[in-house]
Parts: sequence; structure tokens; C-alpha cells
Amino acid sequence: MSVRSFRTYYIIISTLLFSTVLFPIFTIGNKAYPLILGLPYSFFWIILWIVITFIAVLILYFIDPDKEEV
Amino acid sequence: MEHWQISMLIMVLYLAIALIVGVLAGRGTNKASLEEFTTAGRGLGLFLTWFLMGGAIFSAFSFLGAPGWAFTRGAPAFYILAYLAFSLLPWYILGPKIGRIGRKFNLYSLVGFLQTRFRSKALGILVGFIAFFACIQYLATQLRGMAIIFNIMTEGRIAFWFGALVAYAIVVTYVATGGLRAAAWSDVFQGALMITVSWVVGIMIVKKMHGTTSEMFSKLAAADPDFLRIGVEGSTMSTTAFTSVILVSVIGFLMWPHMFARSYSSNAVTIKKTVIAYPLFALLIIPLLLAGFAAVGVVDIAAVGASDQILPYLITTFLSLPGWLYGLVGAAALAAAMSSADVITHSASMEFTDGVIKNMFPNLSDKVTLLIMRSAVVLIGALAYCIAVFGGQGVVALLLGAYGSIIQFTPGVLSALYWKRVTTKGVFTGIIVGFAVNLYFQLFASTTPFEIHPGLIGLIANTIVMVGISYVTKPDTSSVVESYVNDQKKTKQTKDHSMTPDASIDTYQS
Repeated sequence: MSVRSFRTYYIIISTLLFSTVLFPIFTIGNKAYPLILGLPYSFFWIILWIVITFIAVLILYFIDPDKEEV
Repeated sequence: MEHWQISMLIMVLYLAIALIVGVLAGRGTNKASLEEFTTAGRGLGLFLTWFLMGGAIFSAFSFLGAPGWAFTRGAPAFYILAYLAFSLLPWYILGPKIGRIGRKFNLYSLVGFLQTRFRSKALGILVGFIAFFACIQYLATQLRGMAIIFNIMTEGRIAFWFGALVAYAIVVTYVATGGLRAAAWSDVFQGALMITVSWVVGIMIVKKMHGTTSEMFSKLAAADPDFLRIGVEGSTMSTTAFTSVILVSVIGFLMWPHMFARSYSSNAVTIKKTVIAYPLFALLIIPLLLAGFAAVGVVDIAAVGASDQILPYLITTFLSLPGWLYGLVGAAALAAAMSSADVITHSASMEFTDGVIKNMFPNLSDKVTLLIMRSAVVLIGALAYCIAVFGGQGVVALLLGAYGSIIQFTPGVLSALYWKRVTTKGVFTGIIVGFAVNLYFQLFASTTPFEIHPGLIGLIANTIVMVGISYVTKPDTSSVVESYVNDQKKTKQTKDHSMTPDASIDTYQS
């Protein structure tokens, strides 16, 4: 993968992940019930996507053609 | 000894340790070097960078503002979690590029970055001033936080004005003597303290008051499910307000001079690894939100005073905890406030000197510049102190206000990096318009359209004006434009340049 297309992927993926905590997509997570892991659904939704983002960026880092740059 | 005496003793002890760590870290490095003071020799390791970033997560805002919002507003407090987690993602792309340009042109500030690209003194002065005032507001947030901690943790025996003064004196001392290196090492110490204390205390509060989080949230949801939702009848924030507040915070985050300067002092691998870890750092504030939720329906807001004071209030009044634990929490909250205060003070002084002083008096020697930078630290502190003591706004409001100004740098910085057609006049006018619009909606208008954050309205105006004016003015054809936009990491010379300080820093670390 070229540096340029990696950059494009990175921007698209991170924007999509970010949009999960913004309206209108956050509408799906915006409710009190059910309680999951002792947290309201809205709270859990945000934490869930933060964890997914962490994993996604970690994977992106491993396929980054430019990761050894200084 | 009484509780408040023990807690005061621990806080004083903490302040003393922070000072010693800071001053010791500043020793051994070349004090007179401007380069060292500003970017710690461009060679901060991964470990230090992580803690600097971690320190940035915990501030008076997360320690006091976040529980306060959870307590009085409910679900809107999730915005803090959301913005912290996502705010660093753009850095993965922007950071290494800004860093390379910084090394090429020997930059250490946001002002320098914009001024080198747009070659305009007026722009440098403008950016210097805006950064200066936004930083003062940010610092006022932290000072206010520290004062609240001192006040409540000693059961009102240390007056608000005096507490802020003491903590600030220490921050000024170690920023002025040690520069960024001192700030970084203090953050390692403070980071560990903050993380431990916030988890222990957050879990303890929930356990003592409700048993488990399930029981707590069941009660909350049964009493008022809309409290845990956003933008419905009876919730405290509209959907557009929630979305725009997160947007402003995420877009503005990297434009803070102290964040921006991290691109210069970290290499690309460090930057990328920090971005990866950052969403997890954000999760560290969860117990602070839980503590705020624990108070809902149990504590009456009138008894607390301001919502910012809920966490210290719970610890001192509601839970009968031993005095040493008060003190430890106080120390951690002070650490949170101070670690943010020191980096922001440091970069505010840098932007001010670089933008305003150097452009107005161009023939100063390095020695005089360093002296001015250090005096600026004292001045900035004094101004922030006045806002904190006489201003009377809550910590979240203060910080969001500052974001409205800082976010106005985004269009200029992005187009400096990626858009050749942008012109100096376009960027200059854009920033002025954006700043003015933001100021108008913050100070004079009672509401904004659709409850959008004033900073975001300013940003939209700013971008439109910048693009419009750029197209009607003559394009910039200088070679600087080329080296900013088409920057590739091909310059071998640049790498060598950055290696030299790296080596000396490593020697120092071992």
C-alpha cells in the first residue's frame, strides 16, 4: 500500500469511528436501557466505540507502510 | 491531629515533592539553551511523551468538571469521554508532517509554524495574542480547580485566593527554571498519582453509596431515564449542542500551542504510538464520571455550592474517610491541575514571545528572549490568577470558552499543510472573522442558532472567508509553500539534524 492510500484509509476509517459518538449516528446509542456491564446503554456505547477505535488504530499502525519513519 | 491538618500536610508534602522533582529534572541540562527550554532538545522519548499526553487527559477539568457535569447534567458529561478519546486521531497524519517541517525550519511554536509559511509579521502578532489569551483562560481553569481543592480539602481553612496563589507560585518556579524537561518529569510522577487515586476514590464512592454501578444506574434510570439520554424532552443538552461541543473540542485539541509543540519534540514513531494509546487513556476518567453520577438524587446541589465541587464535597462531607485519604485525593487533583497548568504556561509564554515580542522587537539576542519568555510565565500566571479569583465561571465553561478561540487556527494550519492556493491575506482575515464571530456569540448573543457552539460558528465563517479571500488574492509562489505542502521525508540532512540532540538526551536519561 502506498503512503498516500494509507492516509486516505486512515482518514476515512477514523472519521467513521468518530461519527459513532456524534449525532445522527449516536441516536442508536442514545438510550438509558438496557444496562450493560452495569452501565447505561449510552455510556456503554461510547466506551465500546472507544475500545473499537483503539483496536482499529492499532491494526492501521501495523499496515502503515511508513511506520518506521523517524 | 485533625483531618484537615493531616490532609493539608499531605498536600504540602506533595507540592514540595513536585517542586523537587521539577527542579532536579531541570538541573544537568544546559539552562541557558533556548532550544532546550522550548522543545527539550527535540528528543523526548516515548515514555515521556505518553506521560505528557496522559497528564493532558487529567486536568482540573476532568477531576472537577467531569464529575460536576455528570452530577448536574447527566448524559452530556459523556462528551468529555468522547472528545478525549477521539481528539488525538488527526495527529497520526498531521503530527509527523508538522514535526518534519519544524525540524527543517527549526521551529518551536505554533506562531513560528504559521509565520514561516505565510511570512507575515501581522499574522504572527495576531496568532500570538489569541494563543496568549486562550492559554490564560485555560490556565485560569486549572487555578480555579486548585483553589477549590485547597479550600474544600482543608474544610474551608485555606481561602480560595490563597490556595491558587501558592500552587501557582510552584508552577511558575519549575516552569521558569526547568522548561519542558522539568514539566515532563513532573508529569511522570503526577500521572501515576492521578490514575491511582481517581480509580480508588471513584470505585470507593460508588461502592459506599450504591453498592454496584448496576444498582446505581438502575435507580437513576428508574427515577429519570432521560437524564441518561441526550436531546430528548427533559434532558439537559440538545443533540446539536452535544455534537458541536465534541466537534469543537476535537478540532481545537491539536491547535493548543502545547499540543502543537509536541509534534516538534516527538519523532514520528512516538507520535503514532501515542495516538494508538490515547483512546485508552481517555477511559481512565470513567471512575470520575461514576463518582459524579453517584451523587445524583443523594446530594442536594444547594448543599454543594457549585457543581465543580461535587467530588471533593463527596469525599469530605458525605463519606467519612480518614484525613490522609483526603490529602491524597487533594494531592492527585492538584497534580492534575498543575500538570496541565505547567505545560500551558510554558507554551503560552513561548507563543507570546515568538509572536508578539519577536515581531515587534526583532533584534533581541537569545539571552534576552529567554529572559522575556521566563518573565512572561510570571505575567501569564498573574493574569490567569485574576480571572480565576474574580471571574466566577465554572471550570467547564471557562475551558469551552477558550476552545472557541483556539479552534480558529485550524483552517490556517491545515491549509498551510495541504493547500497551495491559500494566501496570507485569506488566513489573516479568516482568523480575525472567526475570532470576532466566536466572541460575539460568546459575549453578546444570548443564544446561538440551533445551540451550536459559538466556536464552531466562528470556524465556519473563518473557513468561508479564508477560502473566498484566497481565491481573489494573488497566489503565493515562494518555495516555502512547496516545502510545506509537498514535504516528503527525503531530506537526509534533516534527520541528521534531529539526531544530535537525541543523543545528548539519552545520555542524560541514563
